[in-house]
Amino acid sequence: MIEIYTPQGYRKDEKEMKRALFLALIAVVFWMLPGGAEAAPGKFDPESYSAPKIEDLYLVIIRDPDAQILALQRGQVHILGDLHRPVDVDALALDPKVNLSLASGFHGFFLGFNVRTFPWNRVELRQAAWQSLPRERIVRDLFAGYAEPLSTFLPPVSPYYQPDVTAYPFNPDAARKRLADAGWTWSEDNVLVSPEGERIPPQRLLSPTASVAPTTAELAARAADALTAIGIPVSSEPMDFATMISRLNERNFQMYVLAWQMTRDPDSLYAFYSSKMDIPGGYNIPGISDPELDVVLDRLRFAPDAMSALAAASEAQKKLAELAPVAPIYSRYSISAVSREWKGTLVTDRVTADNTWSLLAMEPAIGPMRPLYLVQGEEPRALNPFTSSSAYDWQVLGLIYDSLIAVHPYTLETIPWLAKSWSIETRHDDSGPHTILTFHLREGARWQDGKPLTADDAAFTYEYLRKNGVPRYFDNVDNIDRIETPNDLTLVVTMKNVSFWHLHRVGGIPILPRHIVEKVDDWRSWLPASVKHPENSSMTQLVGTGPFIFREYRAGEYVHLKGNKDFWLGRRR
Amino acid sequence: MNYWNRRIASAILVLALVLVLNFLLFRLMPGDPVASIIDPRFSPEAKEQLRRMYGLDQSLPVQFLMYVKSTLSFDFGISFLTGRPVMDELRSRVPNTVFLLGTSLLLSSFLGTWLGMKAALRRGSILEKCVLWIGALSFSFPSFFVQLVLLMFFASMLPVFPLRGTLSVPPPSGGAALLFDYLRHMALPVLSLVLLGFGGWAIYVRNLMVKILGEDFILLARARGLPKKNILRRHAFRTMLPPLLTIFLLALPGIVSGAVITETVFSLHGVGRFLLEAVTGHDYPAAGAAFFLLALLTVACNLLSDLLYGVTDPRVRLERGNR
Repeated sequence: MIEIYTPQGYRKDEKEMKRALFLALIAVVFWMLPGGAEAAPGKFDPESYSAPKIEDLYLVIIRDPDAQILALQRGQVHILGDLHRPVDVDALALDPKVNLSLASGFHGFFLGFNVRTFPWNRVELRQAAWQSLPRERIVRDLFAGYAEPLSTFLPPVSPYYQPDVTAYPFNPDAARKRLADAGWTWSEDNVLVSPEGERIPPQRLLSPTASVAPTTAELAARAADALTAIGIPVSSEPMDFATMISRLNERNFQMYVLAWQMTRDPDSLYAFYSSKMDIPGGYNIPGISDPELDVVLDRLRFAPDAMSALAAASEAQKKLAELAPVAPIYSRYSISAVSREWKGTLVTDRVTADNTWSLLAMEPAIGPMRPLYLVQGEEPRALNPFTSSSAYDWQVLGLIYDSLIAVHPYTLETIPWLAKSWSIETRHDDSGPHTILTFHLREGARWQDGKPLTADDAAFTYEYLRKNGVPRYFDNVDNIDRIETPNDLTLVVTMKNVSFWHLHRVGGIPILPRHIVEKVDDWRSWLPASVKHPENSSMTQLVGTGPFIFREYRAGEYVHLKGNKDFWLGRRR
Repeated sequence: MNYWNRRIASAILVLALVLVLNFLLFRLMPGDPVASIIDPRFSPEAKEQLRRMYGLDQSLPVQFLMYVKSTLSFDFGISFLTGRPVMDELRSRVPNTVFLLGTSLLLSSFLGTWLGMKAALRRGSILEKCVLWIGALSFSFPSFFVQLVLLMFFASMLPVFPLRGTLSVPPPSGGAALLFDYLRHMALPVLSLVLLGFGGWAIYVRNLMVKILGEDFILLARARGLPKKNILRRHAFRTMLPPLLTIFLLALPGIVSGAVITETVFSLHGVGRFLLEAVTGHDYPAAGAAFFLLALLTVACNLLSDLLYGVTDPRVRLERGNR
């Protein structure tokens, strides 16, 4: 029987309470949301959506998490995303005026080893370390169950998740046996000695400080205790986060804990574990270098189609589980809260309620239309689609700009958006094989200032990003060989090489209006939200094709967007 | 070289030193803005491109020359973190911060001085004990605690004041309504800082006043039969004024540097948080500009405090004149 650990000891009655709360939460997610989870996966049809019903959307800046909760409970805001403190989730789960939604996320938290040197260059030691980590208990104690123990290199929500890999469930005895079988012994003071007679020196586990990341610091301390218990002398070394990253970049470390936000594409495995990425600025921090793994990761990165990508991703995960360059620990759930004064949200097991589909369909549960208030946890910055990298900027920009493709909220597959269809083919010429992406754009799509969207806008966007070497999109457009527009609605992009991921990298770029951007003097200092539109004085240069039109950004206060009633998906119903 | 020339020359020297240290310190800190990017979507080549965009691929001497030129022309460049001109960022944040901290400094210093003097004049009374206790409590509580309690009581349970920001969403139209809305939003943050700040002033003034009231010249004034009010105003208070003014003026630069916790709890658009993020995020242009301006203000306040010392204490003028 699983027990809940509390500072006072083990109390089984709390287990029932937590489980009941958790099940209630799940039930809320899938069954009780008014308008939530309306469509089954097979029935979801993007074309059934139209222009947003909301006329005024305010993204209100509230930084303090306690103030965010108070504002939601007082009805001053209606949507609060990215809840991460268990105490807040518990409080809101009991609030009759609020619906919670919970989804698995792409977050992954790992314990990393420097595999370049002794003792972590020994695979059996890494496997034993992985096996000695009490992942379930960590999740229960530190996250009150609002996270899931992770035992793979991709989170379970990923379409490429491979559960059938070598597992290392928590078992310190089995970990000791694994080491003993490999010839390791223990000194009198319970420190491991290698088969060659080398004693493991004291190991430092780098982590951020408790003031910056309290749960991470606590997790590092617990990991250190668990490893020490099997004979690896580890102590955690909390430090300033920038200093820690600097140490990792210089490869000046023995162990570390670090979280990653991954994407639906598994090619991040290449960035993390290919030996080609163990270079300055590369993300192969553990320094794993395995020729067989490299071959598989190359196949993943340059997979010509979905099936080959899936096969390579599975193989890579299996290989990684054997090599254990890092030990996965947990993946955090995404949790958001929506006021029951509103209906029409879309919730799936992979997407919480605060998504674009919801914003297209939401309306007051009772009474006339009124403004919708959504919490923005931080200040948006330049609102410049070229340079903005913060999630808070893209919470705004993502509602204004569209890309050619979108993501299915149930399956995370690629679905049509500005492009109504596309084809991918591989062609051979003198320089080798190339992926050719042909996008067919929707008819009738218009920019928010009324000008028609054409393939030329998309071609201009890609060319502009390529010509200027815009860092944010460097990897998206670096492999583009040439771009052609046979007609106003067809875009042909020829890549330099072959990869299935080219579709996502190119198709996911936000399309910018040529008639605005070509007049911009310097894309680096461009502040489109502050510059008047050249022809329409009620607009700024922040013009997209998306469902919301930018109206005003008042620094420190809010961003005001208007629903685009002429949105190309259909006029407001 | 006379006194003021010497003071101005040393101020310029201090500013030059700050300029150099500002440049060196941030670059000596571990990590750089690009290395801190932890995102698998950024390849090493993309990071290099970013380094070029920030001008970090230039040699340190070239970077230093660019930095000195931009600082002296008050064109601090573009913030790495926000992508907006640093001057625009500061301009949009300084008014809120100056209002918040300036008002609370004025109120807490006046309230603290008044209470401190009352306590000193009624030694051994309940009032003195209350001032000492409340004063000690006032600066013993962590600011976030006091502020969250105020928010809970006066913005949530009794919704008299707003929960966040400096304006309602959407803001009211009309100048007077807008001003009233702003004051209503700033009331709780200011109140919290006054509650946290007046105690220190009260205890300091009380101790200072008790010491002054025990001095020989006060005894002499009493012996001469001067009225109590006269002794207090013309002798005791005047003696207390120079150290009080010094503390007040030295606290002035602080009203621009911001209050990180207060700004976070009340979601205020202020300098404090911007400065903290600039330092932790290796935002060289923003951090460099903010620290330079703060140094400028500190030096100016020091000069002003020297000047006012002379005004409030004739002996200072006399001694300088004799040199």
